Amino acid sequence: MSSLRITGGTVHDPANNIDGEVRDICVLNGRIVASLPDDAPRLDARDMVVMPGGIDLHAHVASASVNVARRMLPEEHAMDPARAPLLVRDRDADITIPRSGSGGTVPSTFTTGYRYAGLGYTTVFDAAVAPVSARDAHAQFDDTPIIDTGCYILMGNDAYLHRQIAGGEHERARDYVAWLLRTTKGYAVKIVNPGGIELWKRNVREITSLDDAAGDPKVTPRTILETLAGAANALNLPHPVHIHCNNLGVAGNVGTTLDTMRALSGRRAHFTHLQFQSYAGERGKSYASGARQISEYMATHPETSGDVGQVMFGQACTLTADGAVEYLLHASTGRKWANIDVELETGCGVVPYTYRDKAAMASLQWAIGLELFLLSGDPWRLVLSTDHPNGGSFMSYPELIHLLMDRSFRDEQIKRINPKMLAGSALADGLSREYTLNEIAIITRAGPARLLGLSSKGHLGAGADADITIYTRDADRSRMFATPRYVLKGGTMVVEEGQLRRAPQGRRHQASPAYDPAVERDIKQYFGRYLSVAFENYGA
Amino acid sequence: MPDVTPPAADLTVEHATCLGCGCTCDDIGVVVRAGRITETRLACALGTQWFGDGRLPARIRAGAREGDPVAALAAVAAKLHDADRALVYLAADLPCETHRAAIAVADILGAALDSITSATASAGLLAAQRRGRATATLGELRNRADVVLFWGFDPATRYPRYTARYLPDPEGLFITGGRRGRTVIAADIAADRGPGDADTRVAFAADEEVAALSLVRAALRGHSLPNAPEGSLDARAATLATRLRAGAYVAIVSDGEPAPHRDPRRSEALIALAETLNASTRCALSTLRAGGNRSGADAVMTWQTGYPAAVDFGRGAPRYRPADDAAALLARGEIQVALIVGSPASVPASIRDGLSHVSCAIIGPSASESPFPAFAAIDTGRAGVHERGVAVRLDDVPLPLRPALETPEVAAFRDLWGPATPAVARATVSAICAALAAGESGATGEASATGHRARESGPELTVAAALAAAGRPQDSYILLRALGATLAHLEGAA
Repeated sequence: MSSLRITGGTVHDPANNIDGEVRDICVLNGRIVASLPDDAPRLDARDMVVMPGGIDLHAHVASASVNVARRMLPEEHAMDPARAPLLVRDRDADITIPRSGSGGTVPSTFTTGYRYAGLGYTTVFDAAVAPVSARDAHAQFDDTPIIDTGCYILMGNDAYLHRQIAGGEHERARDYVAWLLRTTKGYAVKIVNPGGIELWKRNVREITSLDDAAGDPKVTPRTILETLAGAANALNLPHPVHIHCNNLGVAGNVGTTLDTMRALSGRRAHFTHLQFQSYAGERGKSYASGARQISEYMATHPETSGDVGQVMFGQACTLTADGAVEYLLHASTGRKWANIDVELETGCGVVPYTYRDKAAMASLQWAIGLELFLLSGDPWRLVLSTDHPNGGSFMSYPELIHLLMDRSFRDEQIKRINPKMLAGSALADGLSREYTLNEIAIITRAGPARLLGLSSKGHLGAGADADITIYTRDADRSRMFATPRYVLKGGTMVVEEGQLRRAPQGRRHQASPAYDPAVERDIKQYFGRYLSVAFENYGA
Repeated sequence: MPDVTPPAADLTVEHATCLGCGCTCDDIGVVVRAGRITETRLACALGTQWFGDGRLPARIRAGAREGDPVAALAAVAAKLHDADRALVYLAADLPCETHRAAIAVADILGAALDSITSATASAGLLAAQRRGRATATLGELRNRADVVLFWGFDPATRYPRYTARYLPDPEGLFITGGRRGRTVIAADIAADRGPGDADTRVAFAADEEVAALSLVRAALRGHSLPNAPEGSLDARAATLATRLRAGAYVAIVSDGEPAPHRDPRRSEALIALAETLNASTRCALSTLRAGGNRSGADAVMTWQTGYPAAVDFGRGAPRYRPADDAAALLARGEIQVALIVGSPASVPASIRDGLSHVSCAIIGPSASESPFPAFAAIDTGRAGVHERGVAVRLDDVPLPLRPALETPEVAAFRDLWGPATPAVARATVSAICAALAAGESGATGEASATGHRARESGPELTVAAALAAAGRPQDSYILLRALGATLAHLEGAA
């Protein structure tokens, strides 16, 4: 296979404590190696910035729910047709058909792969896959070129799991988690609004505390969280439980988020799109920023990690398993609404949404996200996301990086937003922090890789996958991060001189925890009695 | 050529998935004796008929030439490549994997792309794009729906097992007693009657259908006409509203397939009703679709192009043209060459009429017995009987296919080169291009012998040749894969 020496670039490889050193990176057969013979082919990267490929640990790109959103947005796709890339024609290689598609906030699969790679991202995880539809998610991933992929499996509202909790069957619950992950080829355990989706199906639309019963009195958000976090840690999963807390979007929900963090105190847990979970104020009355409380808690609790779920102004599409939230959004905005109750395990809601900088709520959300970033004491534990496409498209990451790295750019935007709800916001008080390139490399590469337990990703040391992004240095960080000069994926140069040139197939990451096979007998019995899909045909 | 080992003479495949209708029951036991399906346990009459005995024609024809899959693929590729305006049409009975490869063909050609959905279920689809839609998977309905409204149809005729497997008969986690634990309401729309054993019924005239749905919504919002005369439309709607409001989880079941005599606006009115009910209680629509993996074609088109049907790649990227669907393009004479992928018998009449005026190639089950003419016809197996892959149930739940009559050669190929391995060996394309050149020059003897040797290289063609030699139907996914790569080469894209 091929070798390449990338010479003279300024390397940011935080996992190996390399912060802006000029050094060569050697690539052999898809991996990074310590050295290469002098006659190996070279790529001149002088005056360029070299980082590991980007890793998105929370996006919605491939699932039955994503397809519901895609189908609902012909008006967006019509405005953003995506022609097929002009790939290199290599007479010796197998034939890969370059594919056209459509963009918007929920792009078609091929376009999703090409556009992520075009931004220098080489690994992306879908954060919410319903087990019964996992086969669909994997099929969509198969049609998402270049990037490595994986998915988190929704478990917080699974009736079988709830039965085990009600019956005090903790071992069986753990075995079920392992079985579910294996059978769906999933990577991590996802919890969305624990118990709350089951309650939404019962027409109960609010959670008042972590001790609300979701049916059986022993089944509460707290016991669900404890059971699943305990299982994930006992199974030594590479990524801890990935939690979307109760009361997303509700004023005052910072209390719920802190309660959730405290409930799992001392146990590894990842809290996702924290911006949507960091609202102070009072339900039904007022919203304010709760970012500082979250930051302070996380600073003293190293077992916690999170991603921000930044809101970016412009078009978005809200898309979540948390159906009750989407109904509220539909009712308050009048925008079109889809809901799918997914059999005895989860839900799905979709509402297209526009964040306007003149709107008070969107401005507050934007500010809270930035506060979380700027107040964060540990970039390794609070990483970048927009909860694509919920807070905005992944295509807005370069602008988000610009906001973090350039205070004057940020201040210009602050002047334009609606200040009505910003009282008490740290951002309004003038947070002066500017992220360094190294910190950006942490929150977009090294941090996510570490949180995901991907030892061969997110760094440039010998043995790592040769997923490498090379940027032309540019003071305009939006431009710099939007148009990498070169991107290597597994050693293949997919972006060359800023153009997408090759589209190899990425790899699927999955966890394969062990479980006691005896559990299958009980699951099978339950499936036979209640599910509409045969036990043998479930999963992926 | 390698010998094809016949499938094991006797076997039973459990948990097989039936595509006889959109219910996509996945509990069928398919019994094979001496290479033929002799029994389909648990299948309804529709399903039994759909499975048949597993025997399908296995002809390959391109022009006057018979029996040569490589020559046939070359002829199809040449015609599609030369056409200014081509159409790829997804018909029934093939797996999602084939849809995926067929859409690539349309993409690379800049062709129009459509499926049966445009001619049959587009009203509901467009309504859902305008408004969204509250729905649920069939298992959720089975376990939770306590009030079930059948809107102007009885599933017994077109969806025979819906009643027993999903609603209203089975026991549910939250519905003890099965049928007795639910209230079934039949809305009779003129002669389209709901189930005969419904607990209550309400009747509307054909021209009252949409108005009735609006009035039910109004009543749910507290805007009923006071003192509406008994039996008036307002009164019937208000009564229905009261019954629906009493449900903790209401399922509204309707037929998504065409009923030309019914008001097409009912799709949107039903969506609106479900939306209104969700303001105070919970409600989901269950819209039934016919068989052959139609929902699969919708799903794949959506994820690959962004649109569920009626796509045009003519400008280099997909555009949505629901008002200019395949039927319209054909009627206007815009299409020169059409590729039908699927059972020609499933192609709706409006499309068939238009196809009689264009050069048509068919790759699908019983292609050689097409009711409309074709310059090339390649018989393939049927999804779930001969071909593996995924099919999508009417509620978008994906299910695996368990083909009882898959050949070992196809199985071995699919194990290695599924959609996760999309790149096609150049040898496959070279061999088809050689056959194309030989066909164009009319070469015989030496040249065709060279072509013959070349065409055995490439895994797709090796399997195709083996199937042809054994007199078995081809594998649609393998053919479409080879065709797509060949066209990518001819179009200069790869």
